[in-house]
Amino acid sequence: MSDPLIQMKNIEKHFGSVIALAGVSVDIHAGECHCLLGDNGAGKSTFIKTLSGVHKPTKGEILFEGRDMHFADPRDAIAAGIATVHQHLAMIPLMSVSRNFFMGNEPVRKVGPFSFFDHDLANRTTMTEMEKMGIVLRGPDQAVGTLSGGERQTVAIARAVHFGARVLILDEPTSALGVRQTANVLATIDKVRKQGVAVVFITHNVRHAMAVGDRFTVLNRGRTYGTAKRGEITPEELQDMMAGGQELATLEGSLGTTV
Amino acid sequence: MIPMHKLVLAATVAATPLIAASAAQAEGEKYILVSHAPDSDSWWNTVKNAIALAGEQMDVEVEYRNPPTGDLADMARIIEQAAASGPDGIITTLADYDVLSGPIRSAVDSGVDVIIMNSGSPDQARELGALMYVGQPEYDAGLAAGQRAKDDGVASFLCVNHYISSPASSERCQGFADGLGVDLGEQMIDSGQDPSEIKNRVQAYLSSNPDTDAVLALGPTSANPTLQALDETGLAGDIYFGTFDLGAEIVQGIKDGVIEWGIDQQPFLQAYLPVVVMTNYHRYGVLPGNNINSGPGFVTADALEMVEEFAGEYR
Amino acid sequence: MADTPQLVMDERVKQISPMRRALIRPELGGIVGTVAVFIFFGLFAFDSGMFNSQGIMNWSVVSAQFMIIAVGACLLMIAGEFDLSVGSMIGFAGMMIAIFGVTLGWPMWIAILVTFALCVSIGALNGFIVVRTGLPSFIVTLAFLFILRGFTIFLPQTIERKTIIGGIREAAEGDWLANLFGGTIGKGFFTWMGEAGMIATFERGTREGQPVVDGIPMLIVWALGLVLVGHVLLTRTRFGNWIFAAGGDAEAARNSGVPVNRVKITMFMFTAFCATVFAACQVMEFGSAGADRGLLKEFEAIIAVVIGGALLTGGYGSVIGAALGALIFGVVQQGLFFAGVESSLFRVFLGVILLFAVILNTYIRRIITGER
Repeated sequence: MSDPLIQMKNIEKHFGSVIALAGVSVDIHAGECHCLLGDNGAGKSTFIKTLSGVHKPTKGEILFEGRDMHFADPRDAIAAGIATVHQHLAMIPLMSVSRNFFMGNEPVRKVGPFSFFDHDLANRTTMTEMEKMGIVLRGPDQAVGTLSGGERQTVAIARAVHFGARVLILDEPTSALGVRQTANVLATIDKVRKQGVAVVFITHNVRHAMAVGDRFTVLNRGRTYGTAKRGEITPEELQDMMAGGQELATLEGSLGTTV
Repeated sequence: MIPMHKLVLAATVAATPLIAASAAQAEGEKYILVSHAPDSDSWWNTVKNAIALAGEQMDVEVEYRNPPTGDLADMARIIEQAAASGPDGIITTLADYDVLSGPIRSAVDSGVDVIIMNSGSPDQARELGALMYVGQPEYDAGLAAGQRAKDDGVASFLCVNHYISSPASSERCQGFADGLGVDLGEQMIDSGQDPSEIKNRVQAYLSSNPDTDAVLALGPTSANPTLQALDETGLAGDIYFGTFDLGAEIVQGIKDGVIEWGIDQQPFLQAYLPVVVMTNYHRYGVLPGNNINSGPGFVTADALEMVEEFAGEYR
Repeated sequence: MADTPQLVMDERVKQISPMRRALIRPELGGIVGTVAVFIFFGLFAFDSGMFNSQGIMNWSVVSAQFMIIAVGACLLMIAGEFDLSVGSMIGFAGMMIAIFGVTLGWPMWIAILVTFALCVSIGALNGFIVVRTGLPSFIVTLAFLFILRGFTIFLPQTIERKTIIGGIREAAEGDWLANLFGGTIGKGFFTWMGEAGMIATFERGTREGQPVVDGIPMLIVWALGLVLVGHVLLTRTRFGNWIFAAGGDAEAARNSGVPVNRVKITMFMFTAFCATVFAACQVMEFGSAGADRGLLKEFEAIIAVVIGGALLTGGYGSVIGAALGALIFGVVQQGLFFAGVESSLFRVFLGVILLFAVILNTYIRRIITGER
């Protein structure tokens, strides 16, 4: 097993008197999908923001390729290859797929002292990248608004990978999707992982996590309680850890089924 | 974006008055009156009625045009456009010589006859090659009012100027002072446009200058609050009070004996006469040899009946 | 589930017809509208003087005025913001040129440059407040509508005791920069056309024999130049993509590394620049600055942009569309007069066009985003 790409050691993050993260330790490896499970309020979004350079941790250290990681802002993180794909806030529906794909990274062609958006290059690249991900477009000028939710996630993931993401943070990519679209997104994660990208898959859905995860870490009340590898843990155990065990067992008893 | 079916609607909107307009055309002369007043200014309703009446009587077509917001730059475009449509004559106000002189001169040079009405001066009208000026020269109106007041025994006055930025306003006060044969000096105050401010300033002036004989207001904006001020200080009916222009409250004031007279610049004549003059000029080549003063017409308690009857319509 | 399912396109997504495809081009509405308007006035006002040289110049100049401010308003609206202070900015900029150039007696080119710097800074301030506070630009620029109009009345009143400052044309005599705003081009060509009898000439006065239209005003040159620059900027540059992104979804754009705040502030500055160009052309042509200049022009700009197919919510639109919207606006406004329609009905007409444009734009938006 290779050295981890990113090591987070005992990260704490306080906002005034509120302790959002109270000790988080996670190792992220290239070519693996690391699932981070947690219920609402467990500290998932603070975790993402800390990893992607929005927040600086109050305590603890983050090592990126073995070196201390200090990002001034998210742009530094993006430049270092840490990309975040947000659940809703990734694509602009009114813009074409091609314009979306290159948003913030537009290819330019110089004509004298002026530089112009290289639409030809952008369109060609978009079509080939989309084909790789298995999405058939009518054309590169098709608006993102006409794509399904799963397709949009896939475009966002393909975009991040195309622009050199080595660590891909996916924030609940499947939470608002139907069964089939979820399958498509999970397939995309699998493809990306095989290309050697480290995927951090944040979810509260144990079944989605079990489908693609290589490692599983549960976040509960701002803490992690160790990481399990694939095959070392059952979905029921994960579910229990997420909800804090005892109460959920009681609830399941009264509902007569598994939540 | 205009889809085709909107065209049909456009046709109906446009065609109805179009048919009506062409039916009224008999002798063929077409005149356009351009004013500087925004749509919201009701004073110009009299002008619209006057041209409608003159058009009917003289059998000519007269159109009223104005910049909707009162923007004088838009008014310049309207004059240019009026000239482009090839009318027989244009009747226009001259609210700002700088802005409007170019378009008016171009209209004159391209063969359209122009009469200046309301604002501007006889000198400016001559300068631009206009046929004549029809309006109330502000200084002369003030002078006539001053002379009248002098005959009534007035020796000192307060001029309530609510529009100090306009040179015409100050000329009214200056003329009044000259008519009385006194120095204007500190007798003109800048009252601002706010009613309660005007009221307070008038009261303040009158209490610090208790020997003031008369008050001159320059229009309803300053006359109405001045009426209140006089009411509250108990000077109403006691002090000699004259004002420019008319309005409902001013008419009531004249009726009650609080206001001695209102100076009517008679906008009706400013619009009616140019149409008549221009039509006769075009038909028979006759033209009065001078400018026409539409005012000052003094409205006193004696002549109120007709003013009340036609207020807002022809007065 | 970990094994890869075959990804195919959803068979329920229909291929859209070429007709609907054409409909989602923002310019299409403007093109159809322009053609319709010209056919209409060609039928109803052909002999009225609307299409003689003076008439054409008249509606061209009016449309060009709308175009200048519509370009700025269009790019700003696509970037997701409004500027309601455009009209007041026109009055303010004109007044500042007059105060610097006439009252203070500075050389006109310095007066113009300082005014541009001042007004563009105010635009930047507008934008800065909007992005910093997160308040709707509607409110922030509404405040500036009053602030700037207030100064436009207060300054000349305090300095010169009047609200109109004249004498600008005399002060600008022979100034190189002033000619860039107030002059005309193509004088020789128009003189030739006048001599050849192709356009009418003055019948009397000092200019007898000269053509009634003696050149293309710089106002029109500026309008076409700004439309071209705006169009290229929006569709052919990286910055243009950022404008779309900032207006489409500011949060998503930020997540992708688009400097949304910088884009928005720049667009506010550009809008102020356009308003100042408008003001400079106006004061140079008319020779005076007045406190009432530019009233309600902000709405006229927004109306032209909306007629041109831009969405009020941002993220979608075209500069060419906005320019055509301005042309439609100008031609309709001036043309109704030529067609002999009572001028108060213009507003009815305008309201109807606006309503149709907005409804159509919303429909287009649904097609693009696939909402129902």
